[in-house]
Amino acid sequence: MQAVILAAGEGSRLRPLTRSKPKAMLPVANRPLIEYVIDALLENGIRDIVVVVGYRKEDVIRHLNKLDAPIQVVVQERQLGTADALRAAESEITDDFLVLPGDNYINAESIARIRKEQNAMLVAEHPNPSNFGVVVIRNGLVREIIEKPEDAPTFTVSTGIYSFKPDVFSYLQTNEIPDALSAMIASGRRIRAIPADDWQDAVYPWDLLKLNSRMLKGITPEIAGTVDASVIRRGTVHIGTGTTVGPNTVIYGPVTIGSNCNIGPNCVIMPDTSIGDRVVLEPFTYVADSLVMSDVTIGSHSRIVSAVFGQGCILADHTTTYPSASFIEVGGRVQKEEFGAVLGDGVRAAPFTTFKNCIAGNRVTIEGGKTVVGLIEDGTRVM
Amino acid sequence: MCGIVGYIGRRDATPILIQGLKRLEYRGYDSFGIATVGSAIEVYKKTGRISEGEAGAADLHGCTGIGHTRWATHGEPNDINAHPHTDCGEGIAVVHNGVIENYSELKRQLQGRGHTFRSETDTEVISHLIEENYDGDLLAAVNATLPLLEGSYAILAIAGETQQIVAARDASPLVLGVGDAEVFAASDMTPLLEYTERVIFLEDGDVADITPDHYTIYHDGQTVERPIELINWCVEDTRKGGFAHYMLKEIYEQPQSFYETIRAGINDRVRQMVMEAGEITLVACGTSYHTALAFKYLAESLCSIPVRVELGSEFKYFTPPLRGLVIAVSQSGETADTIAALKMAKSRNCPTLAITNMQGSTVTRIADETLLMRAGLEIGVAATKSYTAQLAALMQIVNLRCEGAFDDILSHAHLAIGDILLQDVREAVALCSKAEHVFFVGRGPFYPVSMEGALKMKEISYVHAEGYAAGELKHGPFALLTGETPVVAVCTPGPTYGVMASNIKEMKARKAPVIALGVAGDTELAEIVDIFIPIPNTHLLVQVLTASVALQLLAYHTACALQRDVDKPRNLAKSVTVE
Repeated sequence: MQAVILAAGEGSRLRPLTRSKPKAMLPVANRPLIEYVIDALLENGIRDIVVVVGYRKEDVIRHLNKLDAPIQVVVQERQLGTADALRAAESEITDDFLVLPGDNYINAESIARIRKEQNAMLVAEHPNPSNFGVVVIRNGLVREIIEKPEDAPTFTVSTGIYSFKPDVFSYLQTNEIPDALSAMIASGRRIRAIPADDWQDAVYPWDLLKLNSRMLKGITPEIAGTVDASVIRRGTVHIGTGTTVGPNTVIYGPVTIGSNCNIGPNCVIMPDTSIGDRVVLEPFTYVADSLVMSDVTIGSHSRIVSAVFGQGCILADHTTTYPSASFIEVGGRVQKEEFGAVLGDGVRAAPFTTFKNCIAGNRVTIEGGKTVVGLIEDGTRVM
Repeated sequence: MCGIVGYIGRRDATPILIQGLKRLEYRGYDSFGIATVGSAIEVYKKTGRISEGEAGAADLHGCTGIGHTRWATHGEPNDINAHPHTDCGEGIAVVHNGVIENYSELKRQLQGRGHTFRSETDTEVISHLIEENYDGDLLAAVNATLPLLEGSYAILAIAGETQQIVAARDASPLVLGVGDAEVFAASDMTPLLEYTERVIFLEDGDVADITPDHYTIYHDGQTVERPIELINWCVEDTRKGGFAHYMLKEIYEQPQSFYETIRAGINDRVRQMVMEAGEITLVACGTSYHTALAFKYLAESLCSIPVRVELGSEFKYFTPPLRGLVIAVSQSGETADTIAALKMAKSRNCPTLAITNMQGSTVTRIADETLLMRAGLEIGVAATKSYTAQLAALMQIVNLRCEGAFDDILSHAHLAIGDILLQDVREAVALCSKAEHVFFVGRGPFYPVSMEGALKMKEISYVHAEGYAAGELKHGPFALLTGETPVVAVCTPGPTYGVMASNIKEMKARKAPVIALGVAGDTELAEIVDIFIPIPNTHLLVQVLTASVALQLLAYHTACALQRDVDKPRNLAKSVTVE
């Protein structure tokens, strides 16, 4: 059995977080999404893995090189669609194979359910089916796939995980895999619909918070680095090498902290928080339910709740993220979702900035004690 | 300037030797060969790349063997001149890295005594000399031979049917890798990383007698203990993975290697040495010379220390009067010219500091102190991540002399390097790949950046490129400007911005297409040039880095567009271990 992981797409609905990396490389609980997919395959003994890369491919390749498993990489030159991506891997396929998106979480049990099947797809229930391919099933077989419908007939959606025989390539007429499935169904092929055990996607940036808290359940406790004796820890806490945690800091797991960070003294880190590498939390700062990527600096006396911070943000003292819900237009769709802030890479904020249900683009600069709300374009200077 | 490798143990030697030679190919790749102890000495050697000729080596038997990859110095690259070299009776085989300076005299004497030579190499004298002294004891025969040799050498010798390798070094590098009932030997530690992390750096004059279970090191006839050092480089460094070339992989590793070098900091002894220096002389070759020049501009303008930069190859023969700290900059730590210069500085009683990527390399043994850069293994012949890591080490010295004024800038610089890697340079590549000549110009620290940009361009794309201080262009090279000679100009805000902009206009007036590197958002500059490549608008130190990386990308993609062998450019080897 082989597996093809599709990791070429940008994931544009997750902008501004996908400036320097594709969606599959976004860190969740300090590991890129694609690593969870690879883990699930390896747990099922599937070691012949091909990864299709495209958007910001160097970042993906560098990461794959670090893994123990030998992984074949193929390049999709232009990101035309999933079927086009699969065609890029055609020359590597000699056997029955699985196709998986590299940017969704899937557990090993789900893969165990589909790996013995030929021509099957994993399906799952989702409260907002309109963002996915909705699957109509009869007698355990796929009857129809409706891509991103306005009014979905069911809550059953495709996970984008399929089991195919090599002859699937003759059905790839368009650039999308669901079209090939429709063609297979039309020609009388049976495609089994198998319910996934645990599958999660992050469609919008704030979905990463849910995925993050889900993945944090699986971290292993480990304390490397230098942790002051007065630090209070509870629950599962992972602290990477070279990280210093100063006196009187309180950490309630599940929390993961990367390497070479500088935390505290007197910081509070509450559950469901991931902190990347080389992050600085200055004294008296509180962080909860957040995903802080690498190289971020958060000033003293800040309160960070329900926030996703991209790489290299520098936020001065008294920064607040204030969770609330308002309407935001993302990818042509108006959404209402409660979260504090989503900041792209390299956002800078002056002291006393409050982010309220805000998505700030890459390199946004916010000057002097502002409350910022809603969507801010890349590179904007807020005065 | 070749690579040698040896294996003795329980495994089949040939695949290990071939793999090891591939890792050493950066030291030379004219021809290669291996010899094993099978039923007798079995030899296979071939002109050309290892990947093209390795299949023929598959019939070699035995668990003991030696191998060599060559960069020709004595005798043209062909099958006969390739190592290993055997004696008249083909009972002894030798591989050698270095130069035997008195070989013609030795060869005449040996021929006079009836020895038949097959090759034009200096190395063959060693196998015949060992033959003369051999009576069943290889170690004794090698020991009797070494005093006759003048020059530099790292030698591995095998004989007859004995499971034994004798290794010797003098002024050429040789490293032993200690495994479990197996021992490896190589010119540097890169071939060993896959098998063991325990290495022994042999010293000049050492002779090692190696059997599968045991090794003994002798120095001046006495048994000596050499410490086993643990190497923390990972095998990942040796894998190209999904990248098209090692060079591209290494370009993308720069944010990490820069950060690691900054993070490693400077130890107290080096700190003291730097703080006490009244003036600094840097000795370097090639790319390292450019980093040294960039350091000169930065150190003189930011912390007012007088800095002199000398080419290693000139320094040895035309030594200037020396005062103050002497810093040798060499990625490999084995660059022959730099080593010679360092020895010269030591003999003048100057405090010496080595900046190198290779723990345990020759420069680290000679210099009083070492500042190690953390680039990890660099395989591409064109220096990329070692260049920025050298800058990291040198910028730390600047920072130290400025009392830590740039701490914050240096610890965040890797993010700006990451940013410039996202830059699309395709338009500029289209222009350069059609050109016969490309000029690179800049002022201040961007002058060495331009020289480095030009070096990268010519060494991997074979497009003729020259780097000039922008003001110098009018003193001659201007005559060469036409509509078909692109000029790459670095023009960033600062005292030279205005004069640089008017230089660019002068070039435009001669119809030369101009590719400008300027800070993001500089619309004025973008308007007067043909192609504008924005670099992040940050501190000067960081601009030096990002501009350099942008030029690496330009050279790399131009070479790819011209379908050059990026990782192994013609006629070049990574470390230049001959003068």
